[in-house]
Amino acid sequence: MRILGRFGILFSLTLLVLAIFSFALAYLFPGDVLTNLTGIIPQNDAHRELLIQKHRLDEAYFFQFVHYLSEMLQGNWGYSFVSGLSLKEEIGLALPATIELAFYAMFIAIVIGLPVGCYAGLKSYTAADYSINSVSMVGYSFPVFWLALLFILLFSLELNIAPLSGRISLLFDVPDKTGFILIDILLADNIDTSLALRDAFHHLLLPTLALSVISTASMIRMTRRSVIDVLNRPYITAARSRGLSRWQTFSRHILRNALLPVLPLLAIQITSLITNAMIVETLFSWPGIGSWLIQAIYQRDYPALRVGMLAVATVVIMLTITIDLFNRLIDPSRDKYERATV
Amino acid sequence: MPQFSLYEEEYHPSPLQRTWREFTSSHIAVLGLFVLAIFLIFALFAPLIAPFNPVEQNIDSLLIPPSWETNGTIAHLFGTDALGRDVFSRIIYGCRVTFGSSILLVIIAMLIGVSIGTFAGMMSGVRSSVMNHLLDALMAIPTLLIAIIIVAILGTGLVNSMWAITLALIPQFIHYTRSFVRSEMKKEYVLASKLDGANAWQLFRHSILPNMIEMLVVQGSLALSIAVIDVSALGFLNLGAQPPLPELGAILADGLDVAYLAPWNVGLPGLSIFLMVLAINIVGDGLRSALRKRVSH
Repeated sequence: MRILGRFGILFSLTLLVLAIFSFALAYLFPGDVLTNLTGIIPQNDAHRELLIQKHRLDEAYFFQFVHYLSEMLQGNWGYSFVSGLSLKEEIGLALPATIELAFYAMFIAIVIGLPVGCYAGLKSYTAADYSINSVSMVGYSFPVFWLALLFILLFSLELNIAPLSGRISLLFDVPDKTGFILIDILLADNIDTSLALRDAFHHLLLPTLALSVISTASMIRMTRRSVIDVLNRPYITAARSRGLSRWQTFSRHILRNALLPVLPLLAIQITSLITNAMIVETLFSWPGIGSWLIQAIYQRDYPALRVGMLAVATVVIMLTITIDLFNRLIDPSRDKYERATV
Repeated sequence: MPQFSLYEEEYHPSPLQRTWREFTSSHIAVLGLFVLAIFLIFALFAPLIAPFNPVEQNIDSLLIPPSWETNGTIAHLFGTDALGRDVFSRIIYGCRVTFGSSILLVIIAMLIGVSIGTFAGMMSGVRSSVMNHLLDALMAIPTLLIAIIIVAILGTGLVNSMWAITLALIPQFIHYTRSFVRSEMKKEYVLASKLDGANAWQLFRHSILPNMIEMLVVQGSLALSIAVIDVSALGFLNLGAQPPLPELGAILADGLDVAYLAPWNVGLPGLSIFLMVLAINIVGDGLRSALRKRVSH
């Protein structure tokens, strides 16, 4: 319970810092503060006065910030420069698309990376281990944009297996309910579900593959290192000398202890995964938050950048803190952060 | 009874020599070091090696294929791009920009990160707890996001993107330095010099820093590979180095327009980024396992 409280305080404190930062961005960005904050370009002086009154920009910074915070909490996030749409709606559409992509990549990384990493760790310093290790080293070194380009050149243009861009063919009219395309297809009732699903999978294939190559490789390396570290511990020798079989030592002693330091590393992985997802999105025109933010910077859409940054940072920090909390709850003895090395 | 051997001479290699010996026992690591050295030479002596001016356009030789293809010429080893610039020269200058700026920013990030991390590690109580948790949270913000914000405030350009990546790398150095200093402060030799009356600076300078250098080298190599990827990613997204400046990511983005006609314009710059990162990772991995083995022997 105390841990929960501490993490709650930490979370709200971090969010507060982020909110202060995003408020400061309205002043830091070039251009008019009022426009940066609201996304509305005032028509004339009277309109301008009205907006300043409404957003309390004539008061002290502190009261401005308090007002800003309450507006954010109520969901009035301002409007985009370029499209004039409510930022909350735009982010509500874009963010789930990114989370969906990152989730599948993470899923593949865990499903493939953990067993392969365990295998390599158990067979450490054999030919199998060396080959797994070198392959994962190669996978880990790919710049994600180049990998995605190679996939496009190879699979989309040469072999014509997968489509080039987007989430789903325009033939399917999928209403947005959750923002996650696969769930939306299952929920939609006026389309051919199996055809739509197949099409969505085709669109998902390349971006997910490009993302998961890198996260799988680092997952393998982390798991392998951690398993090797655990294997050298005295309690493994003790377990063996008690006559436990290979499988029993592995499932009872090695696996559990090896996964503990991997978990906090997963939190760091999420950060790089989101960065990679943002780059991959722009290449595949995936309508996620990454391509949205990069469009926003090309068009100098400052209100969009301010809110988008807050939204992405909040999601990432929420995930990271949840993983840290989870880690602390599983293993309360671990007071200080212990992180495995790659 | 003390053991003494008649035939083995008494020779104690220094820690550095032992690390080097462990490092060279892995052939792949040495190969990685060799490749890295080539890139470093490219970066240092680019004007001497490059056969052409990397920004000079030549409309008589547009999109010449690389020399190993039937239509290629040996004058342009890696062919030319859509503006007739020599790809080989551009890649060599690109290595200079990308690799050089990455090294520079890793050094800056390391200096700042280590100094803040040391302060954080020596602090205690609520202050350190708040600072540590905030730093951990900062570490979670994706690099690209920080870069986008900085570019929005300061504008595009190689130097601005370098600041962004430095800012993103600093928290990692702080994190590792802080936990290292923390664990080191609990050890007895530090306690001994504390009892001798060493102040905080002396403790850091004479006791902790010498032990920290290995950790810093390993973390530095990790950070360097991240930095190379990030610099080129920002160049690729047109948020970092701007087109006339030959930066590997920007060259790749340039080649994208003619990717179907002239795939080498995409393939070769990407391949050099990939090789550079791979070499850095291999050397870093070799260093790490050499250090680990040295301690365990």
